[in-house]
Amino acid sequence: MQLNQGGMIREGLALAVCALLTGAPAQAYDNGFTADDSATGSTNLGVLSYQEGDGRIGVSKYQANVRNVWADDHEFSIDLSFDTLSGGSPNGALPSRTVQTFATPSGRSLQKPVKKAPTVQTCTTPSGTTYNCTAGSSEKSSIYDVSAGRLPMDNSFSDKRQAISMSYGGSLAPSTRLALGGAFSTEADYQSVSANVALTQSFNQKNTTLSLGVNVERDSSSPVGGTPVPLSNYALFQRQGDQTKAVNDVLLGMTQVMTRRWLTRLNLSADNAQGYHNDPYKIVSALDSTGRVVGYLYENRPDRRSRRSIYWENRYALDRDTITASVRAMRDDWGMSSKTVDLRYRFALSDGGFIEPHLRWYTQTAADFYRLYVMQGDPYLKAVSADSRLGGFTAKTVGVKLGYEMSRDSVFSLRFERYQQTGDVNLAGLPQLQGLDLNPGLSATIVSADLQFKF
Amino acid sequence: MAVSFQAMASPCEILLHTADAALAARTGRAAAEEVWRIEAKYSRYRPDSVIGRINATAGHPFSVDPETAGLLDFAQNCYQLSQGMFDVTCGVLRQAWRFDGSDLVPDPALVERICQRVGFGRLDWQSPVLTMLPGMEMDFGGLGKEYAADRALGMVDAMAGVPALVNLGGDLCCNRPPPDGSWQVGVERPDRERMPARVLELTGGALATSGDTHRFLLKDGIRYSHILNPQTGWPVHGGPRSVTVAALSCVEAGMLATFALLQGDQAEVFLQQQGVPFWCLW
Repeated sequence: MQLNQGGMIREGLALAVCALLTGAPAQAYDNGFTADDSATGSTNLGVLSYQEGDGRIGVSKYQANVRNVWADDHEFSIDLSFDTLSGGSPNGALPSRTVQTFATPSGRSLQKPVKKAPTVQTCTTPSGTTYNCTAGSSEKSSIYDVSAGRLPMDNSFSDKRQAISMSYGGSLAPSTRLALGGAFSTEADYQSVSANVALTQSFNQKNTTLSLGVNVERDSSSPVGGTPVPLSNYALFQRQGDQTKAVNDVLLGMTQVMTRRWLTRLNLSADNAQGYHNDPYKIVSALDSTGRVVGYLYENRPDRRSRRSIYWENRYALDRDTITASVRAMRDDWGMSSKTVDLRYRFALSDGGFIEPHLRWYTQTAADFYRLYVMQGDPYLKAVSADSRLGGFTAKTVGVKLGYEMSRDSVFSLRFERYQQTGDVNLAGLPQLQGLDLNPGLSATIVSADLQFKF
Repeated sequence: MAVSFQAMASPCEILLHTADAALAARTGRAAAEEVWRIEAKYSRYRPDSVIGRINATAGHPFSVDPETAGLLDFAQNCYQLSQGMFDVTCGVLRQAWRFDGSDLVPDPALVERICQRVGFGRLDWQSPVLTMLPGMEMDFGGLGKEYAADRALGMVDAMAGVPALVNLGGDLCCNRPPPDGSWQVGVERPDRERMPARVLELTGGALATSGDTHRFLLKDGIRYSHILNPQTGWPVHGGPRSVTVAALSCVEAGMLATFALLQGDQAEVFLQQQGVPFWCLW
């Protein structure tokens, strides 16, 4: 080589190198950056405990989830859960100044059985409900009394629920994915089957994603003791056959990467339900003009319900921490509307763990047909329910989640949450209702533990 | 964080300045896979590699993939820039020369015969079709390792975005310096292998070394380096035993080091003219 060309060789070489290194990338890049040619999967095992105060409902939930993604991007996931439920549930009746007597769902009469057993005992639960429990008798009474001033609750609730859901998805085209799923759940008095399909399309180098999903569900209700005739007199124990409900819903979602650190998501959904919406175990107190209880009616809800909601979530990544903030607004044709604000801040710890405080605020307005009670002989009654879940209330949740990275591929997390719900104040002018707490609130504690590992 | 692995018959490592062990492992793994991919693709020792298939098809047209076409274009550029001294077809001369530290210098007539099958100018390269004469062989040699280092760094930079250094057995490149100032690199002395001759501080760009540290012949007191002049078939005389060059990329640094070695006793003059930092060990 001619030495006097000097720097020209370097220049020529630099140009040649540039062409080489910025040329067409090798085939390996097409798979994204998954170094593994094999599948990647993850599994999550969790237990959760939900316990309301005052001897009310407690739920224990055990859940397992497995998800696997193959090298060509198709994926399968399966979810199994097992819940046990026990404790007291309000039956919809109002507290009263006198003792009230109710039957459990399997009961057929409000007459206490006459017993000639040698020992008669009364058992009292923390919520003030008393049971006739007789030693030596194998028959459990299906009648329960509620003390004066107490919120009537049925403590015979005990149920087990099993649920399974599966989902399978894959790419139809480089930026298009299709997912199909199904779910089934069963408990002693209720079964639900559903199927869903979702189509996702990405744009702008996957910075924008649009998705469209449809879900259809069919439920069947076979209450313990039979389905009560709606609005019928509680004491008559009138029954009808099992009931069904169909729900269809559609969801339109958009995810947008706004900046390298900020991701935003917007979901619009609408659902339509037709069929049996009543809670077969809930009644409504019927009062006379002074506010004294004269009887009870089984509740009745409309046989159609349509809801729309909008959900907006933002995630922002700081250098190590992440903030997630979301709001949701829902409205339906039962006159209910709700708003939710949810905030989480995840402090990433240097050892791979995290501490994530959580705040949630929720408010809802009552359904049009929600009543604390009805007046005896009201001729215009078509739909009525005293179920506090349909009433107006505000709820706050405060919690913290702790995560610990056990290894490169496994994370253990622990969550503590405290839920406090306050019913809207209802002034009851009737004389017999003075001094009674007609709309007590609800508090609950949630503790859950999860183990997630990749394989 | 350091990820170590073995590739191209050398110890390799990827250093990443990050506290995220999972990211370092993922990124290091992906980069190692890329190096292995390139090694497998251009390995002279594997008949199923692209090089193996090209060599098996000598005498017939062979259509290459975009990555190989890019490397052949580059080899052609270097052949022209070096006026024929850098030639990826001179590998076939190893049928005459075995640099095993012995004194078996080949018969000149054999070398002359083999030279008929050497010369990038003798083959037909019209991207993407390559047609070599029967008996010709293609071998990218050290270029494969330097290319792999630059590719691996590009991948690490895109995946992790943190200061990183890729070191494939002495050919190394980095994207930017770590927060504490610089990467500390030791340059090996050829005759005292584990003791660094000097420690360099690298804040950017690449470093590549070409030399005959391990491969040479010694006869009658004359050391025959393994750097062969493709035009004569005989080793280049009087050159340094090892040249280390710093440049913007590993490929550029390696090619300048190779060009320098091909200059023989003019190696240092050549490198001074190129205006790059360099170290020659004689």
